[in-house]
Amino acid sequence: MSLAHNRAAILAQAGIGLRHPHLPAFLTAPQPAAWLEIHSENYLAPGGPRLVALEQLHGDYPLSCHGVGLSLGSAEGLDEAHLARLRALYDRLEPELVSEHLAWSTAPDGTFLADLLPLPYTGEALDIVAANVGRAQEALGRRLLVENPSTYLRFREADWDEAGFLSELVYRTDCGLLLDVNNLYVSAANGGDDPLAALERLPLAAVGEIHIAGHARVATPVGELLIDDHGSTVAEPVWALLRAVLARTGPRPVLVEWDTNIPELPVLLAEAARAEFHLWEVSDAAG
Amino acid sequence: MRLAELQTRMRQTLLTGGSLDPGLLALLADPPPQRERRLAVYRNNVRHALLSVLDAAFPVVRELIGADCFSATTLAFIAQRPPHVPALYAYGGELPGFLADFAPLAELPWLADVARLEWARNEALFAADWEPLSPNQLATVPVAELPGLRLGLHPSAWLHESPWPIHAIWDAHQPGGGALEAVDLARAEAVLVWRHGGAVRQRSPSPSESALLAAFALECPLAEAAEMAARDPDFDLSAVLARLLTDGVLTYPT
Repeated sequence: MSLAHNRAAILAQAGIGLRHPHLPAFLTAPQPAAWLEIHSENYLAPGGPRLVALEQLHGDYPLSCHGVGLSLGSAEGLDEAHLARLRALYDRLEPELVSEHLAWSTAPDGTFLADLLPLPYTGEALDIVAANVGRAQEALGRRLLVENPSTYLRFREADWDEAGFLSELVYRTDCGLLLDVNNLYVSAANGGDDPLAALERLPLAAVGEIHIAGHARVATPVGELLIDDHGSTVAEPVWALLRAVLARTGPRPVLVEWDTNIPELPVLLAEAARAEFHLWEVSDAAG
Repeated sequence: MRLAELQTRMRQTLLTGGSLDPGLLALLADPPPQRERRLAVYRNNVRHALLSVLDAAFPVVRELIGADCFSATTLAFIAQRPPHVPALYAYGGELPGFLADFAPLAELPWLADVARLEWARNEALFAADWEPLSPNQLATVPVAELPGLRLGLHPSAWLHESPWPIHAIWDAHQPGGGALEAVDLARAEAVLVWRHGGAVRQRSPSPSESALLAAFALECPLAEAAEMAARDPDFDLSAVLARLLTDGVLTYPT
Protein backbone atom coordinates (compact mmCIF):
# COMPACT_ATOMS: atom_id res chain seq x y z
CA MET A 1 0.00 0.00 0.00
CA SER A 2 1.45 3.37 -0.97
CA LEU A 3 1.85 6.29 1.40
CA ALA A 4 -0.64 8.30 -0.63
CA HIS A 5 -3.20 5.56 -0.19
CA ASN A 6 -2.58 5.46 3.55
CA ARG A 7 -3.15 9.18 3.84
CA ALA A 8 -6.39 9.01 1.85
CA ALA A 9 -7.62 6.26 4.18
CA ILE A 10 -6.72 8.34 7.25
CA LEU A 11 -8.68 11.25 5.89
CA ALA A 12 -11.96 9.37 5.28
CA GLN A 13 -12.87 10.48 8.79
CA ALA A 14 -14.34 13.56 10.40
CA GLY A 15 -12.12 16.64 10.68
CA ILE A 16 -12.66 20.11 12.06
CA GLY A 17 -11.73 23.60 10.95
CA LEU A 18 -8.82 24.88 13.05
CA ARG A 19 -9.70 28.40 14.14
CA HIS A 20 -7.53 30.74 16.19
CA PRO A 21 -9.51 30.50 19.49
CA HIS A 22 -8.85 26.73 19.58
CA LEU A 23 -5.14 26.91 18.81
CA PRO A 24 -4.01 26.94 22.48
CA ALA A 25 -6.04 23.77 23.22
CA PHE A 26 -4.39 21.94 20.31
CA LEU A 27 -0.92 23.13 21.30
CA THR A 28 -1.46 22.05 24.91
CA ALA A 29 -2.77 18.51 24.42
CA PRO A 30 -3.75 16.05 21.67
CA GLN A 31 -7.39 16.52 20.63
CA PRO A 32 -9.73 13.87 19.17
CA ALA A 33 -9.84 15.35 15.66
CA ALA A 34 -8.89 13.02 12.80
CA TRP A 35 -7.65 15.89 10.64
CA LEU A 36 -7.63 19.68 10.47
CA GLU A 37 -8.69 22.23 7.90
CA ILE A 38 -7.40 25.79 7.57
CA HIS A 39 -8.25 28.74 5.36
CA SER A 40 -5.07 29.14 3.32
CA GLU A 41 -5.29 32.94 3.22
CA ASN A 42 -4.97 33.12 7.02
CA TYR A 43 -1.43 31.74 6.73
CA LEU A 44 0.02 33.73 3.83
CA ALA A 45 1.78 36.36 5.95
CA PRO A 46 5.61 36.41 5.78
CA GLY A 47 5.92 34.96 9.30
CA GLY A 48 4.57 34.97 12.82
CA PRO A 49 3.46 32.56 15.52
CA ARG A 50 0.37 31.19 13.73
CA LEU A 51 2.32 29.60 10.90
CA VAL A 52 4.86 28.18 13.35
CA ALA A 53 2.02 26.63 15.40
CA LEU A 54 0.38 25.20 12.29
CA GLU A 55 3.59 23.54 11.13
CA GLN A 56 3.95 22.00 14.57
CA LEU A 57 0.36 20.67 14.51
CA HIS A 58 0.67 19.29 10.98
CA GLY A 59 3.16 16.80 12.38
CA ASP A 60 0.27 15.22 14.32
CA TYR A 61 -2.79 15.88 12.15
CA PRO A 62 -3.38 15.51 8.39
CA LEU A 63 -4.26 18.85 6.82
CA SER A 64 -6.73 20.18 4.28
CA CYS A 65 -5.97 23.67 2.92
CA HIS A 66 -9.11 25.51 1.87
CA GLY A 67 -8.51 28.58 -0.29
CA VAL A 68 -11.01 31.41 -0.02
CA GLY A 69 -9.34 34.02 -2.23
CA LEU A 70 -8.22 32.57 -5.56
CA SER A 71 -11.44 33.59 -7.35
CA LEU A 72 -11.76 30.77 -9.88
CA GLY A 73 -14.64 32.65 -11.51
CA SER A 74 -12.71 35.86 -12.29
CA ALA A 75 -13.34 36.92 -15.89
CA GLU A 76 -9.84 38.42 -16.19
CA GLY A 77 -7.99 35.28 -15.07
CA LEU A 78 -6.16 34.43 -11.87
CA ASP A 79 -3.88 36.62 -9.76
CA GLU A 80 -0.45 35.08 -10.48
CA ALA A 81 1.13 36.65 -7.39
CA HIS A 82 -1.55 35.02 -5.24
CA LEU A 83 -1.01 31.68 -6.97
CA ALA A 84 2.70 31.93 -6.17
CA ARG A 85 1.97 32.69 -2.49
CA LEU A 86 -0.36 29.68 -2.29
CA ARG A 87 2.21 27.45 -4.00
CA ALA A 88 4.86 28.47 -1.47
CA LEU A 89 2.48 27.74 1.43
CA TYR A 90 1.46 24.36 0.02
CA ASP A 91 5.07 23.39 -0.68
CA ARG A 92 5.93 24.27 2.90
CA LEU A 93 2.95 22.45 4.49
CA GLU A 94 2.39 19.61 1.97
CA PRO A 95 -1.34 19.37 2.79
CA GLU A 96 -3.21 16.16 1.97
CA LEU A 97 -6.05 18.09 0.30
CA VAL A 98 -6.32 21.49 -1.44
CA SER A 99 -9.60 23.15 -2.36
CA GLU A 100 -11.18 26.33 -3.77
CA HIS A 101 -14.72 27.51 -4.61
CA LEU A 102 -16.96 27.73 -7.65
CA ALA A 103 -17.32 31.48 -7.18
CA TRP A 104 -15.53 34.76 -7.79
CA SER A 105 -14.22 37.36 -5.35
CA THR A 106 -11.79 39.51 -7.38
CA ALA A 107 -13.30 42.07 -9.78
CA PRO A 108 -11.69 42.95 -13.15
CA ASP A 109 -9.96 46.01 -11.60
CA GLY A 110 -8.31 43.79 -8.98
CA THR A 111 -10.61 44.72 -6.08
CA PHE A 112 -10.93 41.81 -3.65
CA LEU A 113 -14.51 41.62 -2.37
CA ALA A 114 -13.93 39.12 0.48
CA ASP A 115 -17.00 37.03 -0.34
CA LEU A 116 -17.79 34.04 -2.56
CA LEU A 117 -19.88 35.70 -5.26
CA PRO A 118 -22.22 33.88 -7.66
CA LEU A 119 -21.59 33.07 -11.31
CA PRO A 120 -24.09 32.79 -14.13
CA TYR A 121 -23.85 29.18 -15.34
CA THR A 122 -23.22 30.10 -18.98
CA GLY A 123 -20.88 28.74 -21.64
CA GLU A 124 -18.72 31.87 -21.30
CA ALA A 125 -18.41 31.34 -17.52
CA LEU A 126 -17.59 27.65 -17.98
CA ASP A 127 -14.77 28.48 -20.42
CA ILE A 128 -13.39 31.01 -17.92
CA VAL A 129 -13.65 28.78 -14.84
CA ALA A 130 -12.22 25.75 -16.68
CA ALA A 131 -9.24 27.80 -17.90
CA ASN A 132 -8.69 29.18 -14.38
CA VAL A 133 -8.94 25.73 -12.73
CA GLY A 134 -6.48 24.37 -15.30
CA ARG A 135 -4.04 27.21 -14.63
CA ALA A 136 -4.42 26.81 -10.85
CA GLN A 137 -3.77 23.05 -10.94
CA GLU A 138 -0.70 23.66 -13.10
CA ALA A 139 0.67 26.51 -10.97
CA LEU A 140 -0.03 24.77 -7.65
CA GLY A 141 1.17 21.40 -8.90
CA ARG A 142 -1.83 19.76 -7.27
CA ARG A 143 -5.32 18.55 -8.06
CA LEU A 144 -7.91 21.00 -6.83
CA LEU A 145 -11.20 20.12 -5.20
CA VAL A 146 -13.79 22.70 -6.25
CA GLU A 147 -16.63 23.44 -3.83
CA ASN A 148 -20.28 24.00 -4.75
CA PRO A 149 -21.26 27.43 -3.39
CA SER A 150 -24.15 28.59 -1.24
CA THR A 151 -26.23 30.91 -3.40
CA TYR A 152 -28.93 33.49 -2.70
CA LEU A 153 -29.85 34.41 -6.27
CA ARG A 154 -29.85 32.94 -9.76
CA PHE A 155 -29.16 34.53 -13.12
CA ARG A 156 -31.73 34.29 -15.89
CA GLU A 157 -29.05 33.59 -18.46
CA ALA A 158 -27.92 29.98 -17.89
CA ASP A 159 -26.86 27.07 -20.08
CA TRP A 160 -26.66 24.64 -17.14
CA ASP A 161 -27.90 24.33 -13.61
CA GLU A 162 -25.19 24.15 -10.93
CA ALA A 163 -24.90 20.33 -11.00
CA GLY A 164 -24.59 20.34 -14.78
CA PHE A 165 -21.99 23.13 -14.67
CA LEU A 166 -19.91 21.26 -12.09
CA SER A 167 -20.12 18.03 -14.09
CA GLU A 168 -18.80 19.83 -17.18
CA LEU A 169 -16.05 21.44 -15.10
CA VAL A 170 -14.93 18.08 -13.65
CA TYR A 171 -14.98 16.54 -17.14
CA ARG A 172 -12.95 19.35 -18.70
CA THR A 173 -10.32 19.88 -15.98
CA ASP A 174 -10.18 16.58 -14.05
CA CYS A 175 -10.57 18.58 -10.85
CA GLY A 176 -12.25 16.94 -7.87
CA LEU A 177 -15.45 18.02 -6.15
CA LEU A 178 -15.66 19.34 -2.62
CA LEU A 179 -19.31 18.66 -1.86
CA ASP A 180 -20.59 21.10 0.74
CA VAL A 181 -23.81 19.46 1.93
CA ASN A 182 -24.95 22.57 3.80
CA ASN A 183 -24.43 24.68 0.66
CA LEU A 184 -26.36 22.12 -1.37
CA TYR A 185 -29.23 22.36 1.10
CA VAL A 186 -29.11 26.18 1.43
CA SER A 187 -28.95 26.82 -2.32
CA ALA A 188 -31.75 24.37 -3.08
CA ALA A 189 -33.96 25.92 -0.39
CA ASN A 190 -33.24 29.46 -1.62
CA GLY A 191 -33.95 28.43 -5.20
CA GLY A 192 -37.06 26.37 -4.41
CA ASP A 193 -35.44 23.10 -5.53
CA ASP A 194 -35.19 19.57 -4.16
CA PRO A 195 -31.63 19.01 -2.86
CA LEU A 196 -31.86 15.24 -3.42
CA ALA A 197 -32.66 15.77 -7.09
CA ALA A 198 -29.63 18.10 -7.38
CA LEU A 199 -27.50 15.53 -5.55
CA GLU A 200 -28.36 12.79 -8.07
CA ARG A 201 -27.06 14.98 -10.90
CA LEU A 202 -23.70 15.93 -9.32
CA PRO A 203 -20.47 14.16 -10.41
CA LEU A 204 -20.29 12.16 -7.17
CA ALA A 205 -17.41 9.95 -8.28
CA ALA A 206 -15.21 13.07 -8.11
CA VAL A 207 -16.03 13.88 -4.47
CA GLY A 208 -12.78 14.14 -2.47
CA GLU A 209 -14.04 16.01 0.58
CA ILE A 210 -17.41 16.80 2.16
CA HIS A 211 -18.32 19.84 4.27
CA ILE A 212 -21.15 20.30 6.75
CA ALA A 213 -21.96 23.45 8.74
CA GLY A 214 -24.76 25.39 10.37
CA HIS A 215 -26.92 27.96 8.59
CA ALA A 216 -29.33 30.69 9.71
CA ARG A 217 -32.98 31.14 8.70
CA VAL A 218 -33.81 34.77 8.01
CA ALA A 219 -37.41 35.90 7.55
CA THR A 220 -37.85 38.74 5.07
CA PRO A 221 -40.99 40.55 3.86
CA VAL A 222 -40.59 38.62 0.60
CA GLY A 223 -40.07 35.16 2.11
CA GLU A 224 -37.49 33.19 4.06
CA LEU A 225 -33.84 32.98 3.03
CA LEU A 226 -31.30 30.52 4.41
CA ILE A 227 -27.93 32.17 5.12
CA ASP A 228 -24.79 30.03 5.12
CA ASP A 229 -23.17 31.63 8.19
CA HIS A 230 -21.26 28.65 9.70
CA GLY A 231 -22.43 29.94 13.06
CA SER A 232 -24.37 27.10 14.73
CA THR A 233 -24.75 23.32 14.95
CA VAL A 234 -25.54 21.42 11.75
CA ALA A 235 -29.30 21.44 11.03
CA GLU A 236 -31.16 18.09 11.11
CA PRO A 237 -32.13 18.18 7.39
CA VAL A 238 -28.43 18.69 6.55
CA TRP A 239 -27.47 15.64 8.65
CA ALA A 240 -30.11 13.66 6.72
CA LEU A 241 -28.69 14.93 3.43
CA LEU A 242 -25.17 13.99 4.58
CA ARG A 243 -26.33 10.41 5.13
CA ALA A 244 -27.85 10.40 1.63
CA VAL A 245 -24.55 11.68 0.22
CA LEU A 246 -22.42 9.11 2.10
CA ALA A 247 -24.76 6.31 1.01
CA ARG A 248 -23.88 7.23 -2.58
CA THR A 249 -20.18 8.17 -2.26
CA GLY A 250 -19.06 5.80 0.49
CA PRO A 251 -16.69 7.09 3.19
CA ARG A 252 -15.06 10.43 2.38
CA PRO A 253 -13.31 13.03 4.57
CA VAL A 254 -16.06 15.05 6.28
CA LEU A 255 -15.32 18.51 7.68
CA VAL A 256 -17.36 20.33 10.32
CA GLU A 257 -17.04 24.07 9.62
CA TRP A 258 -17.80 26.68 12.28
CA ASP A 259 -16.57 30.22 11.56
CA THR A 260 -18.82 32.71 13.37
CA ASN A 261 -19.94 32.57 17.03
CA ILE A 262 -17.19 29.97 17.42
CA PRO A 263 -18.09 27.61 20.31
CA GLU A 264 -15.92 25.91 22.89
CA LEU A 265 -13.85 23.15 21.31
CA PRO A 266 -15.88 20.25 22.87
CA VAL A 267 -19.03 21.47 21.09
CA LEU A 268 -17.23 21.35 17.75
CA LEU A 269 -15.69 17.95 18.54
CA ALA A 270 -19.16 16.59 19.39
CA GLU A 271 -20.38 17.58 15.92
CA ALA A 272 -17.36 15.83 14.40
CA ALA A 273 -18.14 12.72 16.49
CA ARG A 274 -21.64 12.61 15.03
CA ALA A 275 -20.19 12.89 11.51
CA GLU A 276 -17.80 10.06 12.42
CA PHE A 277 -20.81 7.93 13.38
CA HIS A 278 -22.43 8.53 10.00
CA LEU A 279 -19.15 7.60 8.31
CA TRP A 280 -19.08 4.36 10.32
CA GLU A 281 -22.64 3.60 9.11
CA VAL A 282 -21.42 3.43 5.51
CA SER A 283 -18.09 1.73 6.22
CA ASP A 284 -17.29 -1.95 5.85
CA ALA A 285 -17.27 -2.24 9.65
CA ALA A 286 -20.99 -1.50 9.72
CA GLY A 287 -21.50 -4.62 7.59
CA MET B 1 -24.04 40.67 -20.26
CA ARG B 2 -20.41 39.59 -20.49
CA LEU B 3 -18.98 38.18 -17.26
CA ALA B 4 -16.34 40.94 -16.95
CA GLU B 5 -19.00 43.64 -17.11
CA LEU B 6 -21.22 41.80 -14.64
CA GLN B 7 -18.32 41.55 -12.19
CA THR B 8 -17.41 45.22 -12.61
CA ARG B 9 -20.99 46.28 -11.94
CA MET B 10 -21.31 43.97 -8.94
CA ARG B 11 -18.10 45.41 -7.50
CA GLN B 12 -19.62 48.90 -7.73
CA THR B 13 -22.96 48.04 -6.20
CA LEU B 14 -21.72 45.72 -3.42
CA LEU B 15 -19.12 48.11 -1.95
CA THR B 16 -21.45 51.08 -1.55
CA GLY B 17 -24.72 51.86 0.22
CA GLY B 18 -27.87 53.17 -1.44
CA SER B 19 -29.90 51.60 -4.24
CA LEU B 20 -28.69 48.42 -5.87
CA ASP B 21 -27.83 48.56 -9.59
CA PRO B 22 -31.18 48.04 -11.43
CA GLY B 23 -29.29 46.68 -14.45
CA LEU B 24 -28.01 43.82 -12.26
CA LEU B 25 -31.39 43.18 -10.66
CA ALA B 26 -32.85 42.78 -14.16
CA LEU B 27 -30.43 39.88 -14.79
CA LEU B 28 -31.85 37.75 -11.97
CA ALA B 29 -34.18 34.79 -12.48
CA ASP B 30 -35.76 35.21 -9.04
CA PRO B 31 -39.24 36.77 -8.69
CA PRO B 32 -38.96 40.59 -9.03
CA PRO B 33 -40.11 41.44 -5.46
CA GLN B 34 -37.30 39.25 -4.03
CA ARG B 35 -34.42 40.44 -6.20
CA GLU B 36 -33.21 43.36 -4.10
CA ARG B 37 -33.28 41.29 -0.90
CA ARG B 38 -31.30 38.51 -2.55
CA LEU B 39 -28.60 40.73 -4.04
CA ALA B 40 -28.42 42.63 -0.71
CA VAL B 41 -27.28 39.41 1.03
CA TYR B 42 -24.03 39.67 -0.93
CA ARG B 43 -23.65 43.38 -0.15
CA ASN B 44 -24.07 42.61 3.54
CA ASN B 45 -21.56 39.75 3.34
CA VAL B 46 -18.92 41.87 1.57
CA ARG B 47 -19.21 44.87 3.86
CA HIS B 48 -19.50 42.76 7.01
CA ALA B 49 -16.41 40.71 6.11
CA LEU B 50 -14.28 43.83 5.55
CA LEU B 51 -15.68 45.63 8.61
CA SER B 52 -14.81 42.60 10.76
CA VAL B 53 -11.20 42.73 9.57
CA LEU B 54 -10.92 46.42 10.49
CA ASP B 55 -12.73 45.87 13.82
CA ALA B 56 -10.11 43.27 14.73
CA ALA B 57 -7.12 45.33 13.53
CA PHE B 58 -8.11 48.69 15.10
CA PRO B 59 -9.81 47.91 18.45
CA VAL B 60 -8.51 51.06 20.22
CA VAL B 61 -9.54 53.43 17.42
CA ARG B 62 -12.95 51.75 17.54
CA GLU B 63 -13.25 52.31 21.29
CA LEU B 64 -12.07 55.91 21.00
CA ILE B 65 -14.77 56.95 18.51
CA GLY B 66 -17.46 54.39 19.41
CA ALA B 67 -18.65 51.36 17.44
CA ASP B 68 -21.28 53.24 15.40
CA CYS B 69 -18.91 56.01 14.33
CA PHE B 70 -16.19 53.44 13.57
CA SER B 71 -18.58 51.44 11.35
CA ALA B 72 -19.75 54.53 9.46
CA THR B 73 -16.17 55.74 8.98
CA THR B 74 -14.78 52.39 7.90
CA LEU B 75 -17.69 51.78 5.49
CA ALA B 76 -16.68 55.02 3.77
CA PHE B 77 -13.06 53.77 3.77
CA ILE B 78 -14.11 50.37 2.39
CA ALA B 79 -16.01 51.99 -0.49
CA GLN B 80 -13.07 54.28 -1.37
CA ARG B 81 -10.11 51.97 -0.65
CA PRO B 82 -11.22 48.32 -0.90
CA PRO B 83 -8.57 45.60 -0.66
CA HIS B 84 -6.56 44.56 -3.71
CA VAL B 85 -4.78 41.60 -2.14
CA PRO B 86 -6.87 38.46 -1.52
CA ALA B 87 -5.45 37.92 1.98
CA LEU B 88 -7.18 39.99 4.62
CA TYR B 89 -4.34 40.12 7.16
CA ALA B 90 -2.91 42.72 4.74
CA TYR B 91 -6.03 44.94 4.64
CA GLY B 92 -6.17 48.15 6.64
CA GLY B 93 -2.73 49.74 6.15
CA GLU B 94 -4.31 52.71 4.37
CA LEU B 95 -6.84 53.41 7.14
CA PRO B 96 -4.52 55.70 9.20
CA GLY B 97 -3.95 57.98 6.19
CA PHE B 98 -7.67 57.94 5.44
CA LEU B 99 -8.45 58.96 9.04
CA ALA B 100 -5.91 61.80 8.87
CA ASP B 101 -7.82 63.31 5.93
CA PHE B 102 -11.35 62.44 7.11
CA ALA B 103 -12.99 65.81 7.82
CA PRO B 104 -15.70 64.57 10.24
CA LEU B 105 -12.97 63.39 12.66
CA ALA B 106 -10.68 66.43 12.32
CA GLU B 107 -11.25 67.29 16.00
CA LEU B 108 -9.31 64.17 17.00
CA PRO B 109 -5.92 64.96 15.40
CA TRP B 110 -4.15 62.13 17.28
CA LEU B 111 -6.54 59.45 15.98
CA ALA B 112 -4.54 58.73 12.81
CA ASP B 113 -1.35 58.15 14.83
CA VAL B 114 -3.17 55.76 17.18
CA ALA B 115 -4.32 53.92 14.03
CA ARG B 116 -0.69 53.84 12.79
CA LEU B 117 0.31 52.25 16.08
CA GLU B 118 -2.41 49.61 15.81
CA TRP B 119 -1.42 48.85 12.23
CA ALA B 120 2.23 48.53 13.31
CA ARG B 121 1.13 45.94 15.88
CA ASN B 122 -0.69 44.05 13.12
CA GLU B 123 2.39 44.16 10.88
CA ALA B 124 4.67 43.08 13.74
CA LEU B 125 2.51 40.00 14.33
CA PHE B 126 2.85 38.90 10.70
CA ALA B 127 6.43 40.07 9.97
CA ALA B 128 9.01 37.58 8.70
CA ASP B 129 10.52 35.22 11.26
CA TRP B 130 14.05 36.32 12.07
CA GLU B 131 16.34 35.40 14.95
CA PRO B 132 17.19 38.55 16.92
CA LEU B 133 20.74 39.30 17.96
CA SER B 134 21.38 37.91 21.45
CA PRO B 135 23.51 39.51 24.19
CA ASN B 136 25.88 36.52 23.96
CA GLN B 137 26.40 37.04 20.23
CA LEU B 138 27.34 40.68 20.77
CA ALA B 139 29.72 39.64 23.54
CA THR B 140 31.81 37.70 21.01
CA VAL B 141 32.56 40.87 18.99
CA PRO B 142 36.14 42.09 19.71
CA VAL B 143 36.08 45.41 21.58
CA ALA B 144 38.12 47.13 18.86
CA GLU B 145 35.40 46.34 16.32
CA LEU B 146 32.51 47.65 18.40
CA PRO B 147 32.64 51.33 17.31
CA GLY B 148 32.33 50.37 13.64
CA LEU B 149 29.73 47.65 14.22
CA ARG B 150 26.48 48.17 12.34
CA LEU B 151 23.28 46.99 14.00
CA GLY B 152 19.74 47.07 12.63
CA LEU B 153 16.21 46.70 13.93
CA HIS B 154 14.39 43.36 13.88
CA PRO B 155 12.10 43.07 10.77
CA SER B 156 9.05 43.31 13.05
CA ALA B 157 10.21 46.53 14.77
CA TRP B 158 8.51 49.89 14.22
CA LEU B 159 9.67 53.13 15.80
CA HIS B 160 7.47 56.20 15.61
CA GLU B 161 8.01 59.63 17.15
CA SER B 162 4.50 60.97 17.46
CA PRO B 163 3.52 64.53 18.41
CA TRP B 164 0.80 62.83 20.50
CA PRO B 165 0.99 60.48 23.51
CA ILE B 166 -0.19 57.48 21.47
CA HIS B 167 1.40 54.85 23.69
CA ALA B 168 -0.40 56.27 26.74
CA ILE B 169 -3.70 56.49 24.84
CA TRP B 170 -3.30 52.88 23.68
CA ASP B 171 -2.33 51.72 27.16
CA ALA B 172 -5.45 53.33 28.66
CA HIS B 173 -7.54 50.93 26.54
CA GLN B 174 -5.79 47.78 27.77
CA PRO B 175 -6.88 45.67 30.75
CA GLY B 176 -5.07 47.12 33.76
CA GLY B 177 -3.86 50.12 31.75
CA GLY B 178 -3.72 53.73 32.89
CA ALA B 179 -6.66 56.14 33.00
CA LEU B 180 -7.51 57.93 29.75
CA GLU B 181 -8.42 61.08 31.73
CA ALA B 182 -4.86 61.20 33.11
CA VAL B 183 -3.23 61.30 29.64
CA ASP B 184 -1.74 64.71 28.81
CA LEU B 185 -2.73 65.14 25.15
CA ALA B 186 -0.17 67.92 24.67
CA ARG B 187 2.73 65.54 25.29
CA ALA B 188 4.75 64.10 22.37
CA GLU B 189 5.70 60.44 22.71
CA ALA B 190 7.84 57.93 20.86
CA VAL B 191 6.67 54.34 20.65
CA LEU B 192 8.48 51.12 19.79
CA VAL B 193 6.58 48.02 18.60
CA TRP B 194 8.18 44.66 17.91
CA ARG B 195 7.56 40.91 18.14
CA HIS B 196 9.51 38.71 20.52
CA GLY B 197 8.84 35.12 21.51
CA GLY B 198 5.74 35.02 19.31
CA ALA B 199 4.09 37.99 21.06
CA VAL B 200 3.78 41.62 19.97
CA ARG B 201 5.40 43.97 22.47
CA GLN B 202 5.30 47.71 22.84
CA ARG B 203 6.83 50.45 24.99
CA SER B 204 7.69 54.11 24.93
CA PRO B 205 11.46 54.68 24.70
CA SER B 206 13.11 57.79 26.15
CA PRO B 207 14.17 60.51 23.65
CA SER B 208 17.80 59.30 23.82
CA GLU B 209 16.88 55.66 23.30
CA SER B 210 14.60 56.73 20.49
CA ALA B 211 17.53 58.57 18.85
CA LEU B 212 19.68 55.45 19.24
CA LEU B 213 16.98 53.26 17.67
CA ALA B 214 16.51 55.70 14.80
CA ALA B 215 20.26 55.49 14.14
CA PHE B 216 20.12 51.68 14.21
CA ALA B 217 17.21 51.80 11.77
CA LEU B 218 19.55 53.68 9.39
CA GLU B 219 22.26 51.05 10.08
CA CYS B 220 24.69 53.68 11.39
CA PRO B 221 27.92 52.38 13.03
CA LEU B 222 27.55 51.90 16.79
CA ALA B 223 29.86 54.84 17.69
CA GLU B 224 27.82 57.20 15.53
CA ALA B 225 24.53 55.90 16.92
CA ALA B 226 25.79 56.33 20.47
CA GLU B 227 26.79 59.91 19.72
CA MET B 228 23.24 60.71 18.58
CA ALA B 229 21.86 59.38 21.84
CA ALA B 230 24.52 61.04 24.04
CA ARG B 231 22.89 64.46 24.06
CA ASP B 232 21.29 63.28 27.30
CA PRO B 233 24.09 63.25 29.96
CA ASP B 234 22.31 60.50 31.94
CA PHE B 235 22.12 58.16 28.97
CA ASP B 236 23.61 54.75 29.85
CA LEU B 237 24.49 53.15 26.52
CA SER B 238 25.49 49.74 27.86
CA ALA B 239 22.33 49.40 29.99
CA VAL B 240 20.07 50.45 27.10
CA LEU B 241 21.87 48.13 24.65
CA ALA B 242 21.61 45.21 27.09
CA ARG B 243 17.87 45.73 27.43
CA LEU B 244 17.32 46.01 23.66
CA LEU B 245 19.29 42.80 23.09
CA THR B 246 17.45 40.91 25.83
CA ASP B 247 14.13 42.10 24.38
CA GLY B 248 15.02 40.88 20.88
CA VAL B 249 14.74 44.28 19.21
CA LEU B 250 18.07 44.22 17.35
CA THR B 251 19.65 42.20 14.59
CA TYR B 252 22.56 42.45 12.14
CA PRO B 253 21.63 44.32 8.95
CA THR B 254 20.79 41.96 6.09
